[in-house]
This record gives sequence, structure tokens and C-alpha cells, in this order.
Amino acid sequence: MMATAETPRPAPHHAPASAEALAALVRTAGHEGRRLRIHGAGGWLDAGHPVDATDVVTTMAMTGITAYTPADLTLSCGAGTTLAELDAATRAQGQWCPLLPWGDDAGTVGATAATATAGPFATRLGQPSALVLGLECVDGTGRVIQAGGRVVKNVAGFDLTRLMIGAWGTVGIITQLHLRLRARPPVDRTFVLSAAAAATAEVTTFARGPSAPLALLAMDRDATWPSTLGVRPTPMDPSMRRWLVRVGGDAPFVSAAVDALARLGRLEEMDGATAWPLVRRHAAPRATPHQWRWDPLSLRLRDRFDPQRVLNPGLLGTV
Amino acid sequence: MLAAALERIVGVSHVLTRPPALLVYRSDGLPGHRALPSLAVFPGTRDEVIRVMRVLAETGTPFVARGAGTGLSGGALADGVVLLGLHRLKGILALDLDARTATVEPGVVNATLSRAVAPHGLHYAPDPSSQSACTIGGNIAENAGGPHCLKYGVTLDHVVRATVVLPDGEVMTLDRGEGTGYDLLGAFVGSEGCFGVVLDVTVRLTPIPEAVITLLADFTAVRAAADATSRIIAAGILPAALELMDQATIEAVESSVYAAGYPRDAAAVLLAEVDGAVAGLEEDAVAIERLCREAGARAVRVARDATERARLWQGRKKAFGAMGRVAPHLVVQDAVVPRTRLADLLEEIQAIGARHQIRVCNVFHAGDGNLHPNIPYDAEDPEASARVAQAMSEIMHRCIAVGGTITGEHGVGLDKLDYMPSLFSGETLDAMCTLRDVFDPARRANPGKVVPVRSCREWLVAPAARPTAPTPARLEARP
Repeated sequence: MMATAETPRPAPHHAPASAEALAALVRTAGHEGRRLRIHGAGGWLDAGHPVDATDVVTTMAMTGITAYTPADLTLSCGAGTTLAELDAATRAQGQWCPLLPWGDDAGTVGATAATATAGPFATRLGQPSALVLGLECVDGTGRVIQAGGRVVKNVAGFDLTRLMIGAWGTVGIITQLHLRLRARPPVDRTFVLSAAAAATAEVTTFARGPSAPLALLAMDRDATWPSTLGVRPTPMDPSMRRWLVRVGGDAPFVSAAVDALARLGRLEEMDGATAWPLVRRHAAPRATPHQWRWDPLSLRLRDRFDPQRVLNPGLLGTV
Repeated sequence: MLAAALERIVGVSHVLTRPPALLVYRSDGLPGHRALPSLAVFPGTRDEVIRVMRVLAETGTPFVARGAGTGLSGGALADGVVLLGLHRLKGILALDLDARTATVEPGVVNATLSRAVAPHGLHYAPDPSSQSACTIGGNIAENAGGPHCLKYGVTLDHVVRATVVLPDGEVMTLDRGEGTGYDLLGAFVGSEGCFGVVLDVTVRLTPIPEAVITLLADFTAVRAAADATSRIIAAGILPAALELMDQATIEAVESSVYAAGYPRDAAAVLLAEVDGAVAGLEEDAVAIERLCREAGARAVRVARDATERARLWQGRKKAFGAMGRVAPHLVVQDAVVPRTRLADLLEEIQAIGARHQIRVCNVFHAGDGNLHPNIPYDAEDPEASARVAQAMSEIMHRCIAVGGTITGEHGVGLDKLDYMPSLFSGETLDAMCTLRDVFDPARRANPGKVVPVRSCREWLVAPAARPTAPTPARLEARP
């Protein structure tokens, strides 16, 4: 009763600038029984469960591109590097790291990997897990781990990289990432495709075929998102469907794909540079609270890498 | 005792105990490592695998799982422990054409799966050179690659789900996590048999491309071929495959039954392939030809038809076999460097070879920077073996020094164990041991592989889970 009357003291905030500093922080927390809430820019705070933390740690001080050889199509950066920074640096070289997750470009590369947040292009251009070649992280015992490598193919040792991706910081805190880049498609066009509902199967077949677009999203699944694009609301005519479609590749490929799309329905060209950031921000599939699978193997994983439950305790359930 | 228990599960004819019968399993695709299992057991059904695994667990017996034994790291050697052969489990259990997946047992041969789904216009994309013999289970264990992984990705990119039996006998289904769990499948694939045994695996199938163009570019200098590779990658072209073969390899291939019509006087050839939609493909091929010529190619030839394409590829895929003509044994090495460093590395490799008076044959996935410096030699000649080992060590340390790695697709196994501490910090190796303990706390699965024993802090405290084994040297001394 007394406790509720007290003004809650704000949790101490930490912004370590290196993996070593973070490791020291984690070790101290382990000794002192403190529990850390870890985040990047703070955009993905809610995984559906409250975090029972005493301290807050941000990766935002571990920022910046530390290595980039455009001809190798690889790049290394701090976990706190924003998606916007990554995009600007690679765009200047005609390249991109097609993480392009749902959400805002103010989000960090580290959080994108830690939450394995994919986006509308993941099916064609790769899930986060496929775009991370290696990473540096600090586990719950304060070990600094250099997982994977910087080259595009690597099977040396057990795969700690895949383990950290999508683990929501409950196995280790990602501090640095080595990414696979791709050349931006020389021609990149975005359309709204309006076609008869009866043509849905043909549209789907096209999207899985040899001329597959970078993305094809049904615009009808959520009535609110066409308006975020500034396009007319979905027609009430129940016999019609609309898709937002992005076609990328060299000129002959795109031209052939656009011809094929035009045979399926009516095409209205959009400004992709404006449309896709809006789509990523506003049309994300609704996040559902995690029902994390705590099978014996997953429990053992958590126990071995974070025995003191220093990292994001409670985020994925009571474990 | 153990043999009798296993025989009751799989039948007398599927348990081998006598050393002469076990000799077949003494090595894998690398002749430099030899070890004899104490016993070999070959279950024929999923249920038998589980029951065998439970007997091994109950008796605390270490074991090594093995597919076709085509691995190139010594990873499938059982040194005085039980060898668990899975090649009898060859069932293609389910085919989902709509989802484009196949569920198969671990003993299904890679190429057999592609052949089985070809009538549906699909194939299994990862294509290790041993694909006509190697098994999907082995591919999972090694996270196998292959020439076409440049565009299509390695094994992990094609695995959806796997049912595995853990070393303690528990059966689990692993997937990529997908927002509701850890990526346990991502950890399992490439764990080199240290995390458990696959009972069935669901793999992604890929449509057979609409069109394919295969080119052979002919260079008078290796540097020029490596330079062409860097130019193609830097230009943003993503070929389906981009393979480099040097003069020594060309000579070996052209002198063999696998002769592919490579120009014998070339210093190197690049085998490039583009595939996909018809539209735009010709332009990619033209661009590759132009970049090769700009880098100094003497000629660029385009395969006229499927027969010529198959012949060009046969030379590449059978190159390791063709080297059998040169010497009785072959060290197949596997390292990856940044693609911009290829030309420098190839020159250094030649210099290292010359210094140790050995012939290095390079045949590799240039587009990935995945080198395969191969050395034909006579393993029975201790002096030659020592020179080969020294040269390989120097080559590997150069690859590490330029920011590369010690294996791109063959795995660490036994062969690359010694390089692990040069590549990873003590804390990282220790974390790898922790991951192994998650799957196999008793460390009975493929003991002594992948991570050097001394890296495992706890291993030094706990007694090694490995019975005293007859040493391979003693076995070899037998008449």
C-alpha cells in the first residue's frame, strides 16, 4: 500500500557506445540482480507482454557504418544505425539492403534483426535472416560474441547469427551487423492494379511466376490503407479487387512484366518513392501478441545464454 | 551388448561390427582423415531411427550420423564410436505443389529429389557437386551450397521445417521461428551432425527457370578472370552461377572422361550462367560478355543448346573426380574471401604452392568469393603430405587475414578444427559450445568436431563423453 503512494523513480537509462561497455553493464546487472529492457529507437517496444526491468539500455550509441565496400555488396554497421542512414549510404552507390521492414525508417538495423521484422519485399528480396551475414552481440552472461562473418557465404562453426535474429534480445543484444546488399533494380515502377475479383488466381500466379514483382499487396484487406496512399477508396463494386504492385529489374524485364500485368487489369502508375514508405508505416499487418513457444529446447536456450534473466525478462512471456 | 540391442531394432544384417566390414566407413570425401567406427548401424525406418537413438541415449553412447559420406571435412568420421547411417531412409513423403514444398526423409539423394519433382516444373535448387550421390540429410547437416547458390541461396534458404530426434531421444519439430519462437532450425542447419538427427525435412522447391543462358569466357591470365568476376558482381548482375577454373583444373578435366571442351591453352575460364524470365535475360548475357571482354577475355562462347550446356557443367561438377588422374589423393579446400580480393588471393595461392612445390588446382564459386584450392597428392607419402598441409595452412591464414572465412560450404568437421581459434575469439567459441549444449548437453553427437575441445570451458571440467577408442594408426597398422 505504501509503495503505491510513492512516485515511481524513472528507470536508469544506459547508452553504451561499444560491445565491451555493454558487456560490462550486463555482467554487473547479473551480479546485482538487475534486469535490462533493451531497445533501439524504441519503435518496437511491445511484444504483447510487459517487461519486468530495472534499467533501460539503448543501442543508439552504437551507430554508424563501419565498413562498406560497394563492389563486394557487403556493409557493416552499428546496431543503432537507422534504416534511413543505411538507405542513404547504399542508395548513393546504386545499392540497397532490402530489409525495408514494416514501420518507420527511424527504426534501427539492430532492432529490425532482433525482431526479425520483415516487410512487403521479403518474399522476393530476402527475410532479415537471409540478409545478415554475421553480427556481434553480447549474451546474458556478458560474453562478446562475433557470430558469422562478413563474407557472403560462411558455414564456419555453429550458427549463432540465426540464433540472435528474431530472438527479441532474449539470447543476446546485437551490437554490430554485417549485411548483404543488392544492386537496386535499374528500373523500378509501382502501380495500382485493378482487376476483376475473378482474376485473383491469375494475379497470384503471376506473382509467383518468372516475372514475379518485388511486391504485390492486396489493398482490400484493410480498408484504411488505400487512403494513406492518397488513392481513391476501394470501389464498392464487390466484383473488383485492387493490388499495389512494384516491378523491378532491367528495362526489358520490367517492360514485359508491365505488359503481363496490363493484361490482367487496369494499371495506374504511382510514385513508388512516396507510396512504399507510407505503406510500410501504415499498412503493416496487425501485430498479434506473442504466443512464444517455450518448448524444452527453447527454455534450455534461454537458460544457457541468459541464466540470470538479465535480458528483456518477461518480453516473451514469463520466462 | 550394444550391438545385440541394436540388432533387435534394425535386424542382424543392418549392424556391422567387424573391422573389415567397417572399412568402407573409414573416410568421407577427404582421404586425409581416416577413422574406424566401433560399430555401424543402419536403421530402415523413422521408428527404427528413434529407437536406435534412444538406445544410444540410454547407454550414453557417442555416435556420428552419416548420409552418403561425400562430405569434404572429415565430419562424418566415427573415431571408435557408433556410426549411424541414414541412407536407407529414402522416402519422398509428401509433395505440396501449391506451397511448392517437398517433405523427404534424410537419405533421399539430392539429385533424385530434383528428378522426382521435374515433371511438375520444379527442382531443388541447392546443387552441391556431389548432388548425384549426396543426401538431403547430409546437406542439412552441412548447410550445403553449390554453384547455383550464388543466386538461389544455400540449403538453409530452402528448408522450411524439420522433424529431428535430439541426442537424448526426444523428437521435435523445428522451424525458423516465424515470430513465435527462436530460429532453432536456423541453428540446426549446418550444425554438422552435432545437434541431432533429421527424421524428415520439408524443403522449398523452385520453379525450373523459363530460360537459361550459359557462357564460357576464356582468359589468358587468372587475374583477368577474377577481375571479370568482380566487375560482374559490382555491376549488380546476379548470375545463377559464376564459376572459375584455372589452367591446372582445365588440364585435369580435359584429359579425363569428363572433357568439356574447355580451351586447354587458357589460363582460366569463367563459366557463367544466367536464368529466369526470358525478358531481359539476353541483356544480362550480353552485359556479362562485355564485362569479360573488358577484363581481357580472349573469347566468350555461348552454349548453343542443352547438350552443350550439360557438357560445360559436367566438366565443372566432375572436376574433383578428374583430378584423380593427377594423383591418388586430393585435398579439397574451401574458403571464402571478399569478392574484390579474389585476384590478389589467387596470385598468393599460386605463390604459396610454388614455394612448397605443389600443384594447386583452383575450381570454385567465384561469384560468392568461395575458393576451392585443391591439391592432388599422395597421402601415403609423408613428406609430400607435410608440404601440402603447410601450404594449406598458409592459404587458409591468408583468407582469414583478408576478412574471409575458413569454410563456405564444406563445414569444419575435423579438417578445419585447427583454424577455428584463428577465426573466432575464445568467447565466441565458448558460445558455440553453449549452443551445442542446448541441443546435446551430454555431447554425444559427433564428438570432437566443429569446435576445438579446448574451447569448451566446461568440457575441461566434465569428463569427455567418449570411450577410449582404438586409434586409426593402430588399425592401419593391421595387415
